[in-house]
Amino acid sequence: MARQTETLPAEAEPGVIDIRSADTIQFSTFYFGRHLFGLPIEEIIEINRALDVTPVPLAPDYVEGVVNLRGQILTAIHLGRRIGLSIEEEDDSRYNNVITGNREEPICLIVQRIGDVMAIPRNQIEPPPDLISGVDVEYVRNVCKLPENLLIILDGKALEAPPNAN
Amino acid sequence: MGMDEDILKDFLAESKENLERLDQEFVELEQEPDNAELIKSIFRTIHTIKGTSGFFGFTTLEGIAHFAEDILSKLRDGVAEVNEEITTVLLQSVDYIKAILASLEQTGKEPDDVVYLDFIVDLRNFAEKVANGSVGAANDTAPAEASESNTGGENASKAEPVQETSEEKAADQPEDTKQEDNKEPETTGKAEEQKTAPKAPPAPKPKKRAPTTPAPTTHLTETHVRVDVHLLDKLMNLAGELVLSRNRMAQIATQLDDADLLTANQRMSLVVTELQEQIMKTRMQPVGNVFNKFPRIVRDLAKSAQKQIQLQIKGAETELDRSIIEVIKDPLTHMVRNSIDHGVEPPDIRVQKGKPQVGTLIMKAYHEGGQVIIEIQDDGAGMDPEKLREKAVEKGIISPDQATSLSDREALMLIFQPGFSTAEKVTNISGRGVGMDVVKTNIEKLGGTVELKSEVNVGTTVRIKIPLTLAIIPALIVRAAGQRYAIPQVNLVELVCLSPEAQKKDVQVIGNSEFYRLRGQILPLVRLKKILGAGMELASEQDEEDNKASMNIVVLNSGDRQFGLVVDAINDSEEIVVKPLGKHLKHISCYAGTTLMGDGRVALILDIVGIASTLNLRAEDSLHETKMVAESRTAEEERQFLLLFSVDPSECFALPLALVNRLDKIPASRIEHVGSREVVQYRGKSMPVIRLENYLPISPLSEQEEYHLIVFNFNNKDVAFLVSQIEDSVDIVIDVEEETFRQEGILGSAIIKDKTTLFIDIYQILQMYDPDFLRQEQDGSPINARILMAEDSAFYRNLLHSYISAEGYEIITAEDGQQAWELLQTEEVDLVMTDIEMPRMNGLKLAQKIRGNAKFEKLPILAVTSLSGEEDKNKAMEAGVDEYLPKLDRDQVLTAVKNLLKSREIKEAA
Repeated sequence: MARQTETLPAEAEPGVIDIRSADTIQFSTFYFGRHLFGLPIEEIIEINRALDVTPVPLAPDYVEGVVNLRGQILTAIHLGRRIGLSIEEEDDSRYNNVITGNREEPICLIVQRIGDVMAIPRNQIEPPPDLISGVDVEYVRNVCKLPENLLIILDGKALEAPPNAN
Repeated sequence: MGMDEDILKDFLAESKENLERLDQEFVELEQEPDNAELIKSIFRTIHTIKGTSGFFGFTTLEGIAHFAEDILSKLRDGVAEVNEEITTVLLQSVDYIKAILASLEQTGKEPDDVVYLDFIVDLRNFAEKVANGSVGAANDTAPAEASESNTGGENASKAEPVQETSEEKAADQPEDTKQEDNKEPETTGKAEEQKTAPKAPPAPKPKKRAPTTPAPTTHLTETHVRVDVHLLDKLMNLAGELVLSRNRMAQIATQLDDADLLTANQRMSLVVTELQEQIMKTRMQPVGNVFNKFPRIVRDLAKSAQKQIQLQIKGAETELDRSIIEVIKDPLTHMVRNSIDHGVEPPDIRVQKGKPQVGTLIMKAYHEGGQVIIEIQDDGAGMDPEKLREKAVEKGIISPDQATSLSDREALMLIFQPGFSTAEKVTNISGRGVGMDVVKTNIEKLGGTVELKSEVNVGTTVRIKIPLTLAIIPALIVRAAGQRYAIPQVNLVELVCLSPEAQKKDVQVIGNSEFYRLRGQILPLVRLKKILGAGMELASEQDEEDNKASMNIVVLNSGDRQFGLVVDAINDSEEIVVKPLGKHLKHISCYAGTTLMGDGRVALILDIVGIASTLNLRAEDSLHETKMVAESRTAEEERQFLLLFSVDPSECFALPLALVNRLDKIPASRIEHVGSREVVQYRGKSMPVIRLENYLPISPLSEQEEYHLIVFNFNNKDVAFLVSQIEDSVDIVIDVEEETFRQEGILGSAIIKDKTTLFIDIYQILQMYDPDFLRQEQDGSPINARILMAEDSAFYRNLLHSYISAEGYEIITAEDGQQAWELLQTEEVDLVMTDIEMPRMNGLKLAQKIRGNAKFEKLPILAVTSLSGEEDKNKAMEAGVDEYLPKLDRDQVLTAVKNLLKSREIKEAA
């Protein structure tokens, strides 16, 4: 069945980044626990504040539930549990929803605080280290060392991959 | 003149419709060149046009139609065979006809263009060639050759441009003609192109007049528009959203209670409903779209199976959602194949059986109660339940024991088991072992059901019930653990609300499963919270709390079995829009999808079939048994639902399950000693526990960390047997042997599951444990009354005897009604207690006989039975029975005995 993809904002022009600067990539960042995460801005469809999550019993642990995004029903994935952050790093602050993934079936990523959009020079982007404390590196595509902390660049594909693909 | 104009209008409208169909039919014809029906249909259409145009004097039109008809008649008579070339020429004719009709519509005249006359000449030549066999008779005429030999030279140059212009170059001029003349290969290429795109509108006119007038063909006004299916789906989705918004608005309007708003909302509501209906209609297609494929399938299959079958299609205009039509195509084909292959007999056998030589297969569709029913009915050999049983045992689908216990109706359902095939030999049509189970699964996926009726030598009818649409379904909204869930209405049977008292009485706990007695049937209960419970820790206190509140049971039907779903609350029924679950959640079998509620929140739709399949094995067995109990009620032999347990692993015991109130486990440490007796704290009371070995000569209970309790409730007092293991619950016809183990506390023995099993006489054991335990409050009832008991089953006789004599009554027993009647003549009795089902003379006859004799006018009759239907009860009452009770309900039976004896006293005193 055709989904209501047109209710989503228009897809970002793929060429946009290159026009601004061939040497930087823009990342939308957000926090979970003490970690700072980022996804390339063109992978983000929209960011929403605390959508109502309906829990789905029997669902995989990392699935927080389902949300209604203007008539389209999305699976809400709890970022912390998805990437294996230990539970004590969660706090009970209000969550935000990052809608990402492909337009036919996007996912809703449950994150804590939303950060800035950062333009990172390409040459500062490094492959992930073998170990990042408390994070499953399977979901990490790259990292970038910032002055005060580490930006963990997530692998959007891995995040939205259904259970059997893992 | 006016009349003529009207006729002309009608003629144009009708012809246009017919021509649209012709395009389709020609394409089909190309795929199935020997479809005589199709040729006839095309022939008729052209013939009508010819006739009518003759009437109006449209000579050009008549000419084209005439020669086209000529060619068709050759095809019809089998003189020529359909090939691409003929189809091409015929399609060209159709295009010309269309162009002429367009001109007629616009100007009222035929176009006076020489192209048409040229075409007629070509057509005539071609028709002659077809007639004398130079075209079409030979099967392998290459298209290139054909086009050269037939329309070659000058003719081709005339015909092709028509084609060309119509497709792309309306403004291009005669140069084309010349060019193409020189480029023969390309011409054939075009010819081919035309075949693949036969619907390209012809434009013979613009070819000459293009510079001055716009193409007149565009005025061939259409009443139908082709719309992308995805667009319809999207519209449907939006309509769904609109419905949700409307629901939300309705809620708000009701809350605000503003008259204007309510009126406006009501109006909007009407429009939205209408809109939704109309959009739904765009997705509807007549089921004929599928049915129409069957004449051909049936014909071919019948031929290859060497059978003669006539297909009747009824209700082809019945409309169904497009997506459903897609899905039912395969199951229908499969069932039709089955009917032809396994159902309808070969002609000679049919004649032997005295049936018409030609078998009849009926495909019928109609609406019933908001659903669509499709029936496939044959008058073939039917299915023999006996054969099905044998086959199923042979294939290892069921055990011989199970086979004998299946009713005929259930035996028929065996064909829906995976790996079942009834054909004696595997043929190329069907019987490859994949089949009806897939059909059933597919239909059930749609929320439909399959029913089967079959009678040997009369025929088989398969009845499919499917919803009209999948997109919007009626559903019941329930609550569990604070969330809302939608249950599709198709699965819903009824709702039951039980007060805490009723729960205590009618809800039994066996192991981890709960059962509810619903009008005599045992319905397994499933707590929705527990099914979904994995993620929500359930404290045991909450469980206790549940027992204090009233219980909401949603009785559901999942295919062939029923079960009760226990929910926290039942909200309302609503029309819901089904939305699929994402890929992370799709695999969870408990959900069919999601939907949006009026407040914008998401609710999950429960998949009842999925939930039923997640029930644990024991519950599933019990489900099966429950059904058996329900069906065996009417069977002649008396069945027993027994609980099997052991004290020492070597010995097996049985109790009628109906006597058991619940089963539980306790750790050994919780057993307390009070005097010489043992008790446990149970539900806030201390409950005596009885060790069977203290009263029976059996191996003692070994030391265990945990014991099983079989809890009974008599006179509102709980008491339990302490046992080591609950083995199973079975439903069997028992043949109790009383002699081998003649012993206080033992009713008899029987072989169950290859083990000698002793039947415990619970009443006698209790009597031994505490002579006063069972005694009801004495209020001066005549303890010395004599009761005549007629009961054919030794097991029940002993059981009843045991608990009635424990009350101090004297009992005379009879093995059937006849014996009871004889005893009545000689013995003085105060009350007759009788079973209903007995040999020689049954309970009803006995009651009638007693009532028919003035001597026994005041003699109370109590019927005790395992039949619990309302109808049976009424029959018994008519026969003159005073009271009608289930024989296993000791408390009720004893109370009834007491009351009947008392009222007799009063009567006699009067």
